[in-house]
This record gives sequence, structure tokens and C-alpha cells, in this order.
Amino acid sequence: MGKDKRPSRAELLPGTLELLILRTLERNAQPMHGYGIALFIKSISNDVLQVEEGSLYPALQRLALKGWVKAEWGISDNNRRARFYKLTAAGRKQLVQEVADFERQLEAILRVVQPV
Amino acid sequence: MMDRLIRLWRRLLFHLRRGQFDRELEEEMNFHLEMKAGEIRAAGMTPQEAHYAAQRQFGNQTLLREVSREMWAFRSLETLLQDLRYGVRMLVKNPGFTLVAVLTLALGIGANTAIFSVVYSVLLRPLPYEAPERLVAVYSMRPQKNAFRNVVSAPDFVDWRAQNKVFDGMSAYAWGGYTLTGDALPERFYGLSVSANFFQVLGVRPLRGRAFLPEEEQAGRNRVVVLSHGLWQRRFGADPGLVGKTINLNGEGYIVVGVAPKEVRFAPAELYTPLVFTAESMSEMGRGSHFLSVIARLRVDTTVAQAQTDIENISRRIEQQHPVTNTGKYGNVIPYQQDIVGDIRPSLLVLLGAVSLVLLVACANVANLLLARAASRQREIAVRTALGASRWRVVRQLLTESLALSLVGGGLGLLLAYWGADALVGAVPRDIADSTPGWQQIGINRQVFSFTLLISTLTGLVFGLMPVLHVSRPDLTDAFKEGGKSSAGLRRQRTRNALVVVEMALALVLLIGAGLLMKSFQRLQRVTLGFNPGQVFVANVSLGSVKYREASQQVGFFQQVLRRVENLPGVVSAATVNLPPFSGNTDRVFTIAGQPEPAPDAIPYADYRVISPRYFRTMEIPLLRGRVFTGQDVAGAQRVVIINEELARRYCPNEDPIGRQIKLGRYAEDNPLHTIVGVVGNIKHHGLDSGFQPEFYYPYAQTPVRSSAIVARTQGDPLSLTAAVRGVVLEVDKEQPITSPGTMEMAISESVTQQRLNTILLGIFGAVALALAAVGIYGVMAYSVTQRTHEIGIRMALGASRRDVVKLVVGQGMLLAAGGIGVGLAGAFLVTRLLGTLLFGVTPTDPATFGSIALLLLGVAFLACCIPARRATKVDPMVALRYE
Repeated sequence: MGKDKRPSRAELLPGTLELLILRTLERNAQPMHGYGIALFIKSISNDVLQVEEGSLYPALQRLALKGWVKAEWGISDNNRRARFYKLTAAGRKQLVQEVADFERQLEAILRVVQPV
Repeated sequence: MMDRLIRLWRRLLFHLRRGQFDRELEEEMNFHLEMKAGEIRAAGMTPQEAHYAAQRQFGNQTLLREVSREMWAFRSLETLLQDLRYGVRMLVKNPGFTLVAVLTLALGIGANTAIFSVVYSVLLRPLPYEAPERLVAVYSMRPQKNAFRNVVSAPDFVDWRAQNKVFDGMSAYAWGGYTLTGDALPERFYGLSVSANFFQVLGVRPLRGRAFLPEEEQAGRNRVVVLSHGLWQRRFGADPGLVGKTINLNGEGYIVVGVAPKEVRFAPAELYTPLVFTAESMSEMGRGSHFLSVIARLRVDTTVAQAQTDIENISRRIEQQHPVTNTGKYGNVIPYQQDIVGDIRPSLLVLLGAVSLVLLVACANVANLLLARAASRQREIAVRTALGASRWRVVRQLLTESLALSLVGGGLGLLLAYWGADALVGAVPRDIADSTPGWQQIGINRQVFSFTLLISTLTGLVFGLMPVLHVSRPDLTDAFKEGGKSSAGLRRQRTRNALVVVEMALALVLLIGAGLLMKSFQRLQRVTLGFNPGQVFVANVSLGSVKYREASQQVGFFQQVLRRVENLPGVVSAATVNLPPFSGNTDRVFTIAGQPEPAPDAIPYADYRVISPRYFRTMEIPLLRGRVFTGQDVAGAQRVVIINEELARRYCPNEDPIGRQIKLGRYAEDNPLHTIVGVVGNIKHHGLDSGFQPEFYYPYAQTPVRSSAIVARTQGDPLSLTAAVRGVVLEVDKEQPITSPGTMEMAISESVTQQRLNTILLGIFGAVALALAAVGIYGVMAYSVTQRTHEIGIRMALGASRRDVVKLVVGQGMLLAAGGIGVGLAGAFLVTRLLGTLLFGVTPTDPATFGSIALLLLGVAFLACCIPARRATKVDPMVALRYE
């Protein structure tokens, strides 16, 4: 389609999508809908992290099943019915854990990748 | 743990609200798409373009929804259902294959279930008593004489009971006959006299009333009775007010003190009375008189081995104090459950082994069918693999199919077993059924059902695994080739050949087992009885001890009855005998006058019977020397006795026994001497497979007995005499019943029921295995012929005759059969010794049986190969070549 001049997009590392969702929900005190989460991730990462937007929804389901997020129907800013997600206490704990894991992993990767 | 539960709960909720979940997810995604499209539109695209762009960035909505849904689903369960649906569809599409496979499995599993239902009820189900594992039977044994389960004498029992430190309680019981008179017809049945603590040792409480009190073991206080549950219901209509009332037994009043619960089954005992030891049975000589069965309850934490040691030590002390009666005689402690199933256990285990072989053959056969089908499914599986199905996924699919097959087969098998077990139970005569605890409860219960489920599943896995290993990793290029003759095909053929060899071998082992039993049975039937059992009527009469107190009354009764029976139309000759052949034994110690006192371990024993003068004529037992009894051998005349050949041979060797005198009892005992007046031929008394025992006969007029059998040789059907004989007895005494009317032939035939049943069952199993193996070899050869159509065509085109073709096919089949027979012969050689005690007059490796069964199998295999061979000769070379 000839839109090559975009900034380069990063493929998400496997397993990071959930981490991003949890972090997003933590940063925003308000419950968020899926579209909001996608927008937030995109903007905060300066468009580098482009989530394939649809894949957000299976991930949200997985988090809901594990009890880390809770979903409730509400009304969006433009007065539409939408499903809002918020972090649960278990989710908050999980986030701490995952951030720590992720940082350790990242550190390790950087040590390997960086020139000495 | 808690987390898991919560997650499970969420999943369940999800399944209940599946529709809602889908709607909500769709709404949520639509919301996202609309917001996105709105954003893109704001950047200056047409609504149409914005819509598509939004969808592009979103991804495959259907797939995403699918993935979201799967997140929640019980994935494995749903794939299973899917596999199952598919599998069932495949099975329905091949009704011929499915039918054969299911029937084969149903036969195998049904036979196993039926036999297991018997094994479970008889061998495995715990007895219905408290802590049954602590119950033991205690016997007298004489290891030197190879006798381990003799009944016990009263003084021995009393000493054991007083001195042992291993039992919580020890109880003796003795069998007796009871005639119940009263309002209804007089009735005669068995009962037990038992120690007062009998029910306590068993650990059961009476259903009504009470058990016996210790003081009721004394003469004079023992006129009390506990009824069996069966008698209470049958005869007294389960009258709750019966306890405390008096009933009339053997002409005396007994107070009913209790009713035993249903679980107490000492069939055929109908009632229990206190066991009283007479002064005679407690005397010094009483130690040699064995009539008690003993049951005891081990103390907690005491083993059977410890109990055995303790009882043996006590026995050794008794042995020293009473060498005359107790030399070489010790107590023998056996777990009670093992004791009561001892006789039937070996047969059941052999049958169980045999049916499992049948099931193995069935498995091999179905595996073979599946392998043949696998060839035609090769392509299908290749397609699935090419489309990305993992190996595990394909394996699962195939295993689900074979499990579906085996479970359907198992279900049908359960039905077969339901009828089979019924037939099995019905085929066993009452006395075996009665004396085998658990026999009444045989049927399909929870445990049997679980067993069937288990073996069905195992079966499915076993026969399903073989084709799976061959099919699940197809060589794709090979499989897609038209008419693919692949190396996999060859490998498969080799597996099928191996399966046929195994089938043949297993069938051979079974058939040889059946053959050996059949030969034993024939040998049994041909045993020389020593008398002529044809057309002999038998019925028992037991006189009451009150009404027939005097010897003259007893003799008078039987004389009157005999005279009338002999005058009945159709009766050739009639007599009485206290114990007719095949009804039990009466081992007695005896002493021959004028011979030195025998060593304690060489005391002569003989069977002793009391007969009326025409007994030998009626039974057609030959008189070898001297004379038979006459009407002159009565009380007051010279006491006489007739011995059999075996007694003469063993104890009066090299001399004429006529004129010698013998007496019952030991050397020192002061019993009347009887003069030997005749010697008669040996007869089989205890069973067709037993040897001849020494025997002597007393005339009933000199040694009256209260219980006797009436035997009568008839011209017509002996059974038609029943009513007439009953009438005659009632004419003489209108209160006197006769019991167990039948024929001599029936008694003999019943004595070998177990052998007959074993033979028939093993024969059936062998025949089933043979049929399955024949189908197996036929299938393999037929398949091989189809596979080799091309080759056969070429051979024929090159001038091979029909004979050559037949030779080719049959030769290949015979090679398989020979392989199977070779393996089977070796297996049978190792296995048939397990038949051990079930064989009679034939060795476990009888060459004639081995040879003839091997030939039989070879013949059947030959026939099974002939059909495919014939088909092979019909191959038209032109068609075969063009087909390529």
C-alpha cells in the first residue's frame, strides 16, 4: 500500500502484551475500555509499540479468567455502551511480579546485545 | 488450589452463559472498530475506507473471537467430543468392520466379565462378618499322612481353647440332622450345634432375640434354638413374636431364643443349637473321634503364623500326654476365607487365566482389522497431517476411535456377561452353590462394572495402539502416490503376520488346556465304579431320636419300609445303606483280632457302612468269597461283617480273611467283635478320582442306625419311584419325611459337576479363540492376496498354473500357522502344568493331546487359507496388469 515512511514498528516480545495491559490499567486510575488501552499504549510508546489491536481482546479474556482484571459494562465519553476493565488486587500483585521478571529478562538481553 | 477452584468456577459460568459472552465480545469489538473508524475518518478518509482500514488494523475478527472463546473453554473436553463424533461417524460408515470388531470384543470382554463376576463374589468379596480377615479355621492335620484339613476331636478343641494365647474367641460347630414337626408337613434339614460364643466369634448380633449363653452348653439346658434367617422367613412367615415360643425338633421341644441375621450363611444349615460335649466324646478315646469344625478370631496384631506356632506347641504337649490318639496330629490354622473357597479356587483361577487369553486373541484380531483399515485411511491421515494436525492430535483421534469401539464392545459384553453369569450360576448344583459363600450374590455389581470398564479401556488402548504406531506418522509423499505400495505397507503386513502368529499361539494354548481337561473328564467317566449305578433310586430317611429310641424300633421301621418298597411295581431289588456311594465318608478306626497292636502312626482306618441283606444285589457289587448277609444275621445271632477286597489286601495279606474277627475302635477298646463272613469287590465311594479305600459292612439288624438311605434298582425310570416311596414311608409313619430323592447316576454326575463345568467352559473359550484365530489368518491372507493381485497376475501371465498360485498363497498362510503352532506348543508346555490338580489320568504335557490339537489348528488354518487362495486363482492376468 505504499506507506513505507512510517517509523519502524516493534514486534512485541512474547508475553509482553499482558504486561502492557496491566501496566496501562495501573497507570490510569479509571477503568478503561479496550480501545482506550490500545490508544494509550500506542501514544505512550511514541507509536513504537503497535499492538495488533484485535489481539488485545483474547489477552483481556485471559487476564479476566486468571482474575487479574475485572470487566464491567459502562458508558463511554461519547455516551456509548462499552466494557471497562480495571485492575484487581491479584492483578496488582501479578504486575509487580511480571515487571520484576521482565526487567531481569531485559537486563540479561541488554547485557548480551550491548557492545562491551 | 483456591485459585484453581475459582478459575474452574469462572469457566463453568462461562459455559452456562456462552451466548451472552459471544454477544458481549462482539459488541466490545464493534465498539472498538467504530471508534477506530471514527478516528480514521477524522483524518480525512471516506467512511467506507475508514471501515476497511479499521478492520485491517484490528485483524481477523472471527479468529480472535474464536481464540477468546477457547481461552475459556475446556479445550480437551471439546476436542474429545469432536474426536468422538468423528470416530463414531467413521465407525457407522463401515458397518461391516464395526460389527465384526464389536462382536469380537463383546465376546472377549463378556466372557471376562462373567468369569470375573464369579471370581469377585467367591474369592474377592470380603465375608459379611466383622473384621473377616481375622477369622481363621482350625483343623487337625496329620502331615505324615498328607491330611491337612481333618475335623477336630472334642478334647483337642477344649485344650486348644483353654491354652491358646492368640485367639479372642474360639468356637466349634458340628453338623446334624433335624426333623421339624408341627402344623405343616414334617421337614428334614441340616443344622449346626455350635459353641455358645459362635455368633460372637463371627462378630454378628442376632436379628431377633439373643445368642446362646455359656450355661446352655450343658446337657439339659440345651433345648434352645436360634433359627436361620431363611427358615424363619420360609417356615414361620418372619413372625416377629416367634422368639420365646417352643418348636418341635427331632421329637423334642426347643425354645426359640433368637433369629440369626441374613449374613450368617452356613448353608445348608437352617438352625443352630448349643453344642454339648458328652462324657464319651470328652473321654480318653474321644480324642480319636473327630467331628468338630473350628472357627476362631485372631487377636488384633496376631498373625496366622503366630497362631499356627501357638496351636502347634499346644498340640505337641497333647501329643506327649496322649500318644495313642495324638501321635503325629497337630492343629492347622488357615485363614477362614481361604479355607471356604479352597476347593473352587484353582478352577476359578484357571478359568480366569483362560478368558484373559481369549481377550488377548480378541485384541489381536481387532488390531488386525484396524491395521487393514489403516491402509485405506492412510490417505485421510496424510491429508490431516498435511493440513497441520500434530502427531499427537492424530494419535488421539485414532485412540478415541478404538476406545469408542472397545467401550461399545464392553457394553455389549456386559449384557452377554449378565446372561452368561446367570447361566453359570444355574449350571452349578445346589450343594456346591450352597457351600460356596458369595455364590448367591453373583451378578453384575459395581465392582464388576468397574472391572468391565477397566478392561474395555485397556483393551481399546492395547489394540488401538498398534495401528496408531503405524499410521500416525505417514510418509506424506508415499501416501499421496496413487496405489502407494510403500515400505509402511510392508511393515504393516509384517505386524499383521506377527499378530496372526500370536493369535494362533494363544488359541493353541487354550485348546490344549481344554483338550487336557476333556481327556481327564473322559478318563473320569470311564473309571471302574465297582457297582452299577444305572437305574438306581436313592432317598434318605432319618428317624427321630425320641420316637425311635430303641434299636428294635429302628430295625422294624426299615424292615417294613423295605418290604413295601420291594413290592412296588418296577422295583427289582431294594436295600438300605447308611451312606450310599458319593454322599460322604465315615472313616473309622478298626482293629483285627489276633494281630499285634499297631504303631500309633499305622492304625488301620476303614470306611464303614451299615446295610440291609440285599444291598450288594441291588447295587450289583460282586461277592468274591464267602456269603452275603441274610435274614438270619440279626441281633442275638453271631455278629458278622463283610469286608472289601482292599481291606483284605492291605490288612490280611496272604491269608483267607474269612473267619477272622474285627471290631470298631482301637486295640484297647472293648467293642464287640464281628466275624468276617464275606469279601466283596471294591467300589468308588468318594468320587471318581479317588482311589479304593478299605471298607467293611455291618448288617443293619445287628448295628441299627437311625438314618439311612433307601436304594432301589428299578426297571423303568428310577425317578418315577419318588412318589411311591414317599407314600410307603408315610404309610409306615405319617410323620416321617424322606429327603433328597434322586438317582445314583445323578449323584455321580453331580460329583463331577465342577470338572464338567471347567471342561465345558474351557472348551467354549478354546472354540472362540479358534474361531477368532481362523478369522484372523483368513483376514491376513485375503488382504495379502488383494495386495499381491498384480504380482499374481504377472506370475500367471508368465505361465504359473493355478496349482502354483494356490501353493503360493496357502504356503504363506501355513508358514504363519506353523509359526503360531510352534510358539503355542512351547507356551502350552510351560503353562499347562498350572492345570495341575484339575487333571485326572493325563499328564500336563500329554503328547497325544498336544499333537492332535496342533493338527486341528493346522487344519483350520488350512481351510481359512483356501478361500483367499481360490480367489487368487481367479485373478485375470489381463485385468491385474491393466489395473496398474
